[in-house]
Amino acid sequence: MRQLNLGDIEFLLLAARWTILLSLYAAIGGGIVGLAIALMRTSTKATLRWIAIVYIRIFQGTPLLLQLFLVFFGGDMIGVPLGPWVSAVLGFSLNAGAFLGEIWRGAIQAVPRGQIEAAKALGLHFVPRMLRVVLPQALRVAIPPTVGFVVNLIKSTSLAAIIGFVEVTRAGQMLNNATFRPFVIFGVVSAIYFVLCYPLTVASRRLERRLALATKR
Amino acid sequence: MEYVFHFGDIWEARDELLDGTLLTLRLSAVSMVLSLIVAVIGAFARTSGPAWLRGIVAAYVELIRNTPFLVQLFMIFFGLPTLGVRLDANTGALIAMVLNGSAYTIEIVRAGIESIGHGQTEAALALGLSRLRIFRLIILPQALRVVVPPLGSQFILLMLNSSICSVISADELTAATQDIQARTFRPFEAFIVAAGIYLCLSLAFSGLFAAIERFAFGAPAEGRR
Amino acid sequence: MKRLFQILAAAVLLAGLSVLRPAEAQTIDEILSRGTINIGVLVDLPPYGILNAQQEPDGYDIEVAKLLGGYLGVKVNLVPLTSPNRIPFLLTNKVDLIVATFGITPERAKQVMFSIPYSAIENVVFAGKDKKIAGIQDLKGLRVGVPRGTVQDVILSKTLGSAVKLARFDDDPSTYQALLTGQVDAIAETGLTGDKFYDSHPEGGIERKFTLLQQPNGITMRKDQFNLHQWVNTFVYFTKNNGELNALYEKWFQKPLPNLPVF
Repeated sequence: MRQLNLGDIEFLLLAARWTILLSLYAAIGGGIVGLAIALMRTSTKATLRWIAIVYIRIFQGTPLLLQLFLVFFGGDMIGVPLGPWVSAVLGFSLNAGAFLGEIWRGAIQAVPRGQIEAAKALGLHFVPRMLRVVLPQALRVAIPPTVGFVVNLIKSTSLAAIIGFVEVTRAGQMLNNATFRPFVIFGVVSAIYFVLCYPLTVASRRLERRLALATKR
Repeated sequence: MEYVFHFGDIWEARDELLDGTLLTLRLSAVSMVLSLIVAVIGAFARTSGPAWLRGIVAAYVELIRNTPFLVQLFMIFFGLPTLGVRLDANTGALIAMVLNGSAYTIEIVRAGIESIGHGQTEAALALGLSRLRIFRLIILPQALRVVVPPLGSQFILLMLNSSICSVISADELTAATQDIQARTFRPFEAFIVAAGIYLCLSLAFSGLFAAIERFAFGAPAEGRR
Repeated sequence: MKRLFQILAAAVLLAGLSVLRPAEAQTIDEILSRGTINIGVLVDLPPYGILNAQQEPDGYDIEVAKLLGGYLGVKVNLVPLTSPNRIPFLLTNKVDLIVATFGITPERAKQVMFSIPYSAIENVVFAGKDKKIAGIQDLKGLRVGVPRGTVQDVILSKTLGSAVKLARFDDDPSTYQALLTGQVDAIAETGLTGDKFYDSHPEGGIERKFTLLQQPNGITMRKDQFNLHQWVNTFVYFTKNNGELNALYEKWFQKPLPNLPVF
């Protein structure tokens, strides 16, 4: 059994970049999936709405941990070999898409219906109507809860440790196995997450307050 | 390799899955009730308590909400014993779930309390009611009505989070699933069945919360689709 | 209710779809022409698998994996696995084979294929010095930690049933640590790893109680890799005969390779 040294703390800090990268990619992937789900969920076509509802129910109704297991290995099961990075990002993106889809659906629905009717009356088709009229207004409402969700996403990347992906939690686990100093090691790991998440939490709250004031006026 | 699904081994382990499901239900139900109690006390302290108490509650909420549940579990199960505090796995899991869940429910209940107009408190103060009575009789009943939908979603997340407790050897559903896959080497069958059970639990819980909302408060609260 | 059925139907459909497209097969020729073999190993079970000071995999199993790659004449790509994910990694072709102290059981062999034994571990019960434990029956009423689904897990649950409270952990380090911190009364684990761990923590007062069984381990492959399996068996037979396996064993365990049964 070896002693804990400063190099080990450096090892943890270096592992934090995998947490950051994983969160970043998952946020982008989840954003793409989420946008599709939100648009389907608010669509006028019943089939699209139903697909979106079923998707959201499944991904919000089962544990992320099981989803990660199934997606991480699912690609190879259906004959599409994906590397560990792609599978991990895919797993988090599919899950994040369900939550972001619901958040953004609310934002889209917060845009007064009259505006959509007016845009239709002006002869704007779906794409320009969404891009020029609905989404810019929905964006304002969507930003605070989206930033709040990114905090959840960063924390949830810790579950990648259980499927064997080395990020900051798994690095902490490996280090603890070698040195058995759980309190110090997981304390440092917690601090790393806190430093990553807290500024976003504060930002989300500030944005929310600003939005509340703006809509009150 | 052609992967052939065989659910036979999983069916043989149905008792294990059932036990796991029951523990998941018990862990979830108890932690939901406890975190609701903590939330009401915490939200009262956070809104009407003295400054130092408000600070402590705020710090607790921020600390928990900005670190992952998995790391909190490791801290409680592997970290605390080095300081002399030993908890068996199921107790540790329950404590971790309540600690984690409360941080979120406190914020939800607090938001509900703050949504009640301040005029009501002032009117009640003018009538000579004490702060605690105002909170209990006037603010809380109205606040609870507003917070049922977000509390419901949070409780379902809490139930799904219980799956992570398998890492500290609590025998809940995911742990049973991992046991079965480690023994039979049939991971996909085991995970698919478990995911199906969790989905049913989530649907049942959301039905239950909708029913509570309907029966306890009549019409659905405002702001719900 | 209608909603529920629609959702369940969709879930079943999703599961059904995944059966339609089987994953690729992996033969020895494919490995040779690829020039690389992906071998899954554990890095949290000293001295079988560890991360050395350079944070690279090392240990007896890792050296066996490298020796195997050498005889095959291809580059070895070591993939560190965890206990819960090692079988999914194998079954989905993310690794070609696993060298990770897998005990050979008929139940497991329904899903994977084992080589003839290349090592053996002693499955030992550890507990505090104050506990009187001389045999399996003495574990009654105690909380006993085991890694999930392992050979010792199955033996204890079959022999003692509900008379013993088993605490199942995802991996070996968690199991060893749970005994040291007093969250379980005893554990059934790999003997030599436990000796090392508890020797470095004398404050825990943990000692060996009795040996549950001698467990021969096999290199593990998917169950259709007959062609690779035959070669791996030949490799184990050959290196056992020429003393190379024994030399590795002596290097990591300071004792000769135990007599390994074959099948």
